[in-house]
Amino acid sequence: MSEQRFVTTTVEIEGREEIAVVEVPAFEPPPWGPDAALDTVGRRVPRLDAVAKVTGRARYTQDIRLQGMLHARLVRASVPAGRVVRLDLSRARALSGVRGILTGADLPRMFGPAVHYWGQPVAAVVADTEAIARDAVRLARVRYRASPFRVDLPTGKTSLRTGHFGVTPPETRREERGDVTAALGRAEVSVTATYRVPAVVHQALETHGSVVHWDGDRITVYDSTQGIFRVRRELAEHLGVGQHQIRVVTEYMGGGFGAKNSCGAYTVIAALLSKATGRPVRCVWDRHEECIDAGHRPETEFRVTAAARRDGTLEALDVEATVAMGVVGWPGGPCKIFQELYRCPHVRVVQRFWYGNVSGMESFRAPFHAEGAFALEGALDLLARKLGMDPLELRRKNHATEDPVKQRPYSTELLRECWTSVAERIGWNAARVRKRSTGRFVHGVGMASQVWGGAGGPPAYAVVRLNRDGTALVQTGTQDLGTGARTIFAQIAAEALGLPLKAVRIVIGDTDAGPYTNNSWGSMTTPSVGPAVRMAAEDAKRQLFEVAAEMLRAKPNQLEARRGRIWAQGGASVTIRKVTEQLGDIMIMGRGHRGPNPPGVTVHSFGAQAAEVEVDRLTGRVRVIRIVAAHDCGRVVNPELAESQLHGGIILGLGYALFERLLCDGQLGRPLNLGLHEYKIPTYADIPDIDARVVSVADPVANHAGVKGLAEPPIIPTAPAIANAVFDALGVQIRELPLTPGRVLEAIKTPS
Amino acid sequence: MRIRLTVNGRTEQLDVESRASLLEALRDGLDLTGAKLGCDRGECGACTVLVEGRPIYSCLALACESQHGSIETIEGLGADGLHPVQQAFIAADALQCGFCTPGQILSATALLRRSHRPGDPEIARAMSGNLCRCGTYPKIRKAIRMAARGRWR
Repeated sequence: MSEQRFVTTTVEIEGREEIAVVEVPAFEPPPWGPDAALDTVGRRVPRLDAVAKVTGRARYTQDIRLQGMLHARLVRASVPAGRVVRLDLSRARALSGVRGILTGADLPRMFGPAVHYWGQPVAAVVADTEAIARDAVRLARVRYRASPFRVDLPTGKTSLRTGHFGVTPPETRREERGDVTAALGRAEVSVTATYRVPAVVHQALETHGSVVHWDGDRITVYDSTQGIFRVRRELAEHLGVGQHQIRVVTEYMGGGFGAKNSCGAYTVIAALLSKATGRPVRCVWDRHEECIDAGHRPETEFRVTAAARRDGTLEALDVEATVAMGVVGWPGGPCKIFQELYRCPHVRVVQRFWYGNVSGMESFRAPFHAEGAFALEGALDLLARKLGMDPLELRRKNHATEDPVKQRPYSTELLRECWTSVAERIGWNAARVRKRSTGRFVHGVGMASQVWGGAGGPPAYAVVRLNRDGTALVQTGTQDLGTGARTIFAQIAAEALGLPLKAVRIVIGDTDAGPYTNNSWGSMTTPSVGPAVRMAAEDAKRQLFEVAAEMLRAKPNQLEARRGRIWAQGGASVTIRKVTEQLGDIMIMGRGHRGPNPPGVTVHSFGAQAAEVEVDRLTGRVRVIRIVAAHDCGRVVNPELAESQLHGGIILGLGYALFERLLCDGQLGRPLNLGLHEYKIPTYADIPDIDARVVSVADPVANHAGVKGLAEPPIIPTAPAIANAVFDALGVQIRELPLTPGRVLEAIKTPS
Repeated sequence: MRIRLTVNGRTEQLDVESRASLLEALRDGLDLTGAKLGCDRGECGACTVLVEGRPIYSCLALACESQHGSIETIEGLGADGLHPVQQAFIAADALQCGFCTPGQILSATALLRRSHRPGDPEIARAMSGNLCRCGTYPKIRKAIRMAARGRWR
C-alpha cells in the first residue's frame, strides 16, 4: 500500500458543517455508475435479521438477562426549578432487596442540588427486582426550595429572563444573503405570516436503557444507542477509564429517531452501580420517563415574509425563528431550509434559541428542517394564493438548479423529476381546478418539497476477512436502528467480492468487533459506511486476484469476480472457494475507509410529496386519503428497505401534522400528556394510501457506491403537504401544527 | 407465590410476586423475551400474547390470574418452522426495528385464524392496538393480505 495522506474535508451532520481531517484512501475503486451491472446491490432481498425479529429471538437491550443482574430506578424531581434542600433515602435504603443508592455525593455532575426541569434525576436506587426498585423510589423523601420557571416560548406579554434558569443564556444567530430590506422595499407582491410547530416526542417503542457489567477492569455495556463508539468515548470520560476497557454492544435496537445519540444518564448510573455492587445492573427508562427525559423536537415559532415579482419569481425571504430548546440542546438551523430549498437572491434569517425549564431537546429525524419546512412551504402556498398562481408552478418557477447557499453545482439533483412524479400520481392539475364543495366533506390537495444533506462522509471503517471455504466476514462498527443497515452493507460487500449474499456474514453493533464509524444520524450511515465496506471488500478482492492470477495464468487487473467465481478475460474461471482453499489458513483481510467528499460540489438529497385530504366541516376532523412521494437519494441498495424508510418518514410526518404535541402546564411546569394514550402517535387505522418511490439512480460524484442519505428526507415535506391540502380544501390556512379538529373549526369560522 | 402457566403447549411452574404481570412472568420467569415491554400500561401492544387464541396485552394481565388459559407467545408460533404469517411479514418487509413485530404478528395471526379473508375495516380494527413508530403499517397490511391469500401456506 502507498503511504497514507491526510487531508481536510467538509462533512455535514444534520445541518451542522464540520471540517474533518481524513485519510485519503490508498486506492479508490471506480464508481458504480448508473449503468453498472450489479447482481446483489439493487435487489429486494429480505432483511438479514428478519427471521430473528419475527420469531422473537432478536434480543434488544431490555431483553438482556445476566446472572445476578440488579435493576436501577431513578428518583426524579417534582418541581420544575429550584434546589433539593433535603434528600432522605433512609426508608428506601432499609427496604429488603435494595442493594445500593447513588446521590449527588457520588455523582455531583448528574445529581446536583439545582433542579432545572420537572423530572430531572436527583438520585438512583438499585435493587434485586424492578418492582422493589420502584417501591424504593416511592419511599424517597425529597424537599425542594422552588424557584420561578418558564416552560413555554415568550409571547408579546411576557419576557424571558435568563436569571430564572441560570442554565444557558438565549442566543441569536443572524445571517443574510443579498439585501433583504431593499428587496422588500421594491417587491411587487408579498405575504407575512406566523407559523408555529409544537414540541413532539420521539417515542421509540424501545425506551432508552442500558445493561452494564463492570467486571474487574472490563466494562461491558449493552445499550440501545445510535452510536456505540460515541457511547464508549463519553462513558470513558465520565468514568475516567480507558476506552479499551469498555465494550458497547447494540445488536438490535427498537428505534432511535435521533433521541439516542449519546451516552445516557442510565448508562453512567448502571455502570457506577455495577461497580459498587459487583453485579450487572440494568437501567431502562419507562414510558413516562421516555416522554419526560429523553428529548423532543422543540416547539418553534416562525415569522415569515415572502416577496416575489408578479410572475412568481421569488425576490426575498425574511424569517425569524424562535426555538424553545429546553434546558440544553444544540442550536441548529430552523431557517436553513429557507436558504437552501429555492432560488432566492435575498434571504435574511434570524434564529433565536430560548432555554427554559423543560428537559433538553434532542435531534429528531430531520431536526430543524421538518420544522422549517412547515413555515416555508406554508408561506409559499400563501404567496401562490395571493399571486393567483398554482403552488406547484410557483415552485417550478423558483427551482434552484445549483446550490443557492454555496453557489456551486450539485452532484446530482432531480427535484423537477420529483415534482412531475408526484403531480402525475396525485392528479394535480385536475384536483386543483375542481370546484370546491360547500357540503360537509371538502377535499383538497397540497404539496411540498424537501432538501437535506445526506452526503455522509469520513471517518468510517470496515474490515473484510475471507475464510478458507470462500465465505466472508464483514466487520464494521455501525449499528442498525431498524433501517436495514446490516442488510445493505452485506449486499455491498457481496457485490464487491463477487460472492452470493449467503456467503457473507456481517457483524455490526459491537465496539470490540468492528472498527470505528460515526453515529447513525443525519442520514449518513449508508453514504459514510457503504463506501468503506465496498473498499474493504475491493481490497480483499485485490489480494484474492493476485493468487487467482497465478492459477488462471492471467494478470490480476484483468480479472473479474461474479457469483462466486473469478473470471479471466478469455473465459477461464475458478471458484473463489478454490482460491481461498489454495491459500489454506493464510487469511486475506481487506481494509476499507471512507474517503473525502468531492470538492466543489454540493451533495444533497431532494424530494417532493403531495397529499389529498378530506376535511369534515362539521367535526373539524382531517382525514388524509392519499400521500404520494418521490425522492432523489442516489442509488438504492435495496428497494424494499428504501420504500420502508420512506413509509416511516411519511407516517412520522403524518403524526406531526395531525395529532402529536407534548403539552406542558405553564402554571405547574410539568408535562401533561405522558405515555402513548395521552400522546397519540399514528396507528394502523390512521394510515392513508401511500405511494412512495425513489426516482434517482446512482450518484457517482457523491461517492464510489453512488449512495446518498434517505432516512430523514421523507419526514420533511409530509406535514406541510398535508397542511397545504387542508388550505386548499378550506380556503383558509391553519398556521399551527397539529391540525386538530378545534383549529379546523376555528379556521372555518374565520372569513378567508 | 407459585403459579402454573400453560405456555406454547407446555405447563411451567414458576414463582412470582402476586402483583407480577403476565408479561413479567413470561419475560423474567420463563425467559420468553419475544413479548416486549413498551409502555407497561396497555397502550402500545408490544406485549401482545394470545390467551385461548385471543390477543391480550400481557402487561395488563396478572400472572396469577393467567393460570387457566392456554398462552401462545411468538416463541411458540414458529416453533416448527416459520408460520405463514411470519413468512408473510418477512416477504412484505413488514418490520423495521422489529420491536413491535412479535405483537403485530400475534395480533395478525389471531385475526387470520378467526377470519380467513378479512376486509380493510376488519384489519384496521384488529391491528390498531399495536403501535409501530417506524411506520411499517402499509407493509403490515400487505403482509396480512399475502397471508390471507395463502401464498405462504
